[in-house]
Amino acid sequence: MEKVIIVRYCEIHLKGKNRGYFEKVFMNNLEKALTGIRHEMHKPSGRYVVENFDEERADEIVERLRKVFGTHTLSIGYKVPADMQTIYQTVKTIAPSEGTFKVETNRGDKKFPLNSMQINAEIGGRLLSEFPALRVDVHHPQTVLNIDIRENGTALVFGGFVKGAGGMPVGTAGKGMLLLSGGIDSPVAGYMIAKRGMVLEGLHFHSYPYTNMQAREKVEELARLLSGYTNGMRLNVVSVTHIQEEIHKHCPDEMMITLLRRFMMRIAERLCKQTGAQCIVTGESLGQVASQTIEGMTSSNAVVTIPVLRPLVGFDKTEIIERSRMIGTFETSIQPFEDCCTVFLPKHPLIRPKLAEVEAAEEKLDVEALVQEALATLETVKF
Amino acid sequence: MIYLDNAATTVPDEGAVNAALQFLKIDGFYNPSALYRAGFAAHKEIEEARRTILSLIAPQGGYELVFTGSGSEADNQAVFSSARRGNFVTTAGEHAAIYQSAKELEKRGIEVRFAPLRSDGSADTEALLSMVDKDTSCVSAIHVNNETGAVNDIAAIAAAAKKINPALLFHSDGVQAFGKIPFALTKDIDLYTVSAHKIGGVRGVAGLFRKKGARLSPYIFGGGQENGLRSGTENTFAIKQFEFAAKKKFSSLKEDFERIRSYNLAVRQGLDKTIFRVLSSENASPYVLSVSARGLRGEVLLHMLDDAGVMVGTGSACSSKNRYSRVILACGLDERSADGVLRISFAATTTLQETEQAIGIINSCAASLAERTK
Repeated sequence: MEKVIIVRYCEIHLKGKNRGYFEKVFMNNLEKALTGIRHEMHKPSGRYVVENFDEERADEIVERLRKVFGTHTLSIGYKVPADMQTIYQTVKTIAPSEGTFKVETNRGDKKFPLNSMQINAEIGGRLLSEFPALRVDVHHPQTVLNIDIRENGTALVFGGFVKGAGGMPVGTAGKGMLLLSGGIDSPVAGYMIAKRGMVLEGLHFHSYPYTNMQAREKVEELARLLSGYTNGMRLNVVSVTHIQEEIHKHCPDEMMITLLRRFMMRIAERLCKQTGAQCIVTGESLGQVASQTIEGMTSSNAVVTIPVLRPLVGFDKTEIIERSRMIGTFETSIQPFEDCCTVFLPKHPLIRPKLAEVEAAEEKLDVEALVQEALATLETVKF
Repeated sequence: MIYLDNAATTVPDEGAVNAALQFLKIDGFYNPSALYRAGFAAHKEIEEARRTILSLIAPQGGYELVFTGSGSEADNQAVFSSARRGNFVTTAGEHAAIYQSAKELEKRGIEVRFAPLRSDGSADTEALLSMVDKDTSCVSAIHVNNETGAVNDIAAIAAAAKKINPALLFHSDGVQAFGKIPFALTKDIDLYTVSAHKIGGVRGVAGLFRKKGARLSPYIFGGGQENGLRSGTENTFAIKQFEFAAKKKFSSLKEDFERIRSYNLAVRQGLDKTIFRVLSSENASPYVLSVSARGLRGEVLLHMLDDAGVMVGTGSACSSKNRYSRVILACGLDERSADGVLRISFAATTTLQETEQAIGIINSCAASLAERTK
């Protein structure tokens, strides 16, 4: 009786001829998530089975695999020879001694002498006679005991499901550049896009000495937390200090955020080209703050040609916070370090910037030189 | 790098570290409570350290010394042991170890009275004494303010407070005073906190002076070390290193005091007066000098100075929480001035050359920041 972990995938089964590609990427991601843990992974049809690991690490393995996008459900169970006596003895170890239950069988091996219904009846009947306090309830059982008869003379026995992260395997939907500010929203935006299979690089803008090292450390921690879902992550860090100083010196105060965001988008696009990313991902939510109006978004979109994905655009703050808590980034996001120094923040930022006025204000700046100068400050950290 | 944040911590005195290293090694590491000879020898070393440190500021036979793990621990022990009923009187200029303990006392139902500060950070003595009454169980007033260097005349405050209510216990946090300004304990001071790492000692050891007979309860219970007042196996190395560092510090206390006063004066005179306003009064401890660059952000200036090779402290932070120093605001500064506070703090190890260099760097960084954010 060997302890195993069974992993099932989500939408991949809907794929046609290219299903093999998705399965391969998914398996690679599962393997990567288990780096440092001794194990073997096999892929009987439509699922993955992790075997030959230290049994006391089973929960840790489930916790790591649960976060791999593409995972629908997981189960901890046992792999045993497919004979009814052994199967029953194994079911007994995970069955309760009282309450309601049902047995559910999936018979992959059609040559097995009993069909699914017969197996359910046989195993259920034996349990009932051995444990008089047990009752069968096929509609709302307290416990479901699962038996999966495989083709190679083995059976998997397990007693429940752990919900996985869902989505598509990271690496099957291109690559994006996530603007990671240190707030609550951007990690959630990254999570949602990675969930659809996109590989992400992070991009953080700092304005040291106007911001501090703790703010930077916080963003690195967020990238590290996200990397648990995104199959690793490279964080790019760029200084926009001089850009902020120049805007402050030459442009109207109320345009600081609008103009700064345009610079951030330009820098992000350049980095996309350098790294092979195909889009920019931001945590903007329509109307959440002054710069996140449709006019603000129009103004920042105007300086780039690649797509800008805003997965949170229709979300309320409370919904974003809920997701942030769910993925485990909330506590880090609310640490009180400013990611953008308030020295330069206007009291009344422009809410509906007009593109022509923004462009006119920007004419006073040597945009290309400032972008190049900022790019020269690039540092990268790998998680 | 020029280190001018000595009120935060000081570099451990190397000679004292080397002399104490034997207590981390095979011949000296033994548990001072152990009954074999080597344990007893360690015990004797600790008693010698106690006698030496006591002799530095306490009249002979008048005080005991309890070694604790930190100044904060000593402050906590003093406050929670003394302020058990009635009211607790303290100042708005206390270190967080007293201030947060006072906040905790409030939660536990003790009335806490905070005496206001004068503009230099010293306690308004008259206001403080007016808060003391027959129900006051404890008065705690910091000796040297850790943000402005303001010196409270704790001997006078203690005497006046005891006149109003002889039953109260008087405590003072002397962490920024001990080994830096000339001082000796007087009869009305019941409890007095000192710390090793502000005077060349290592972190992890501090002390609470206790006047003989003054009530003091343990804060940490266990094996009954330190006469039952602070359980936990004694850190012989740290205690001995504290002893050696303190002895050295006191041997040149007056000369150092005068020398540091001249550096302090040089900074006061040398800083650009169009940018900086000095907050510390002239009779403050020379080891702490607080200045404000109104309109500039202290933490931003701190980062620039760090890049330029000078480490200082600040009274503000680029953080939405604790943005302004509670103590600096209590001195009556407006928020824009509080935002621009720098704390320059010296140690006996500071040199004139470092001080002069730092003045130039501070002036040029501040001018540059003012220009960049104009």
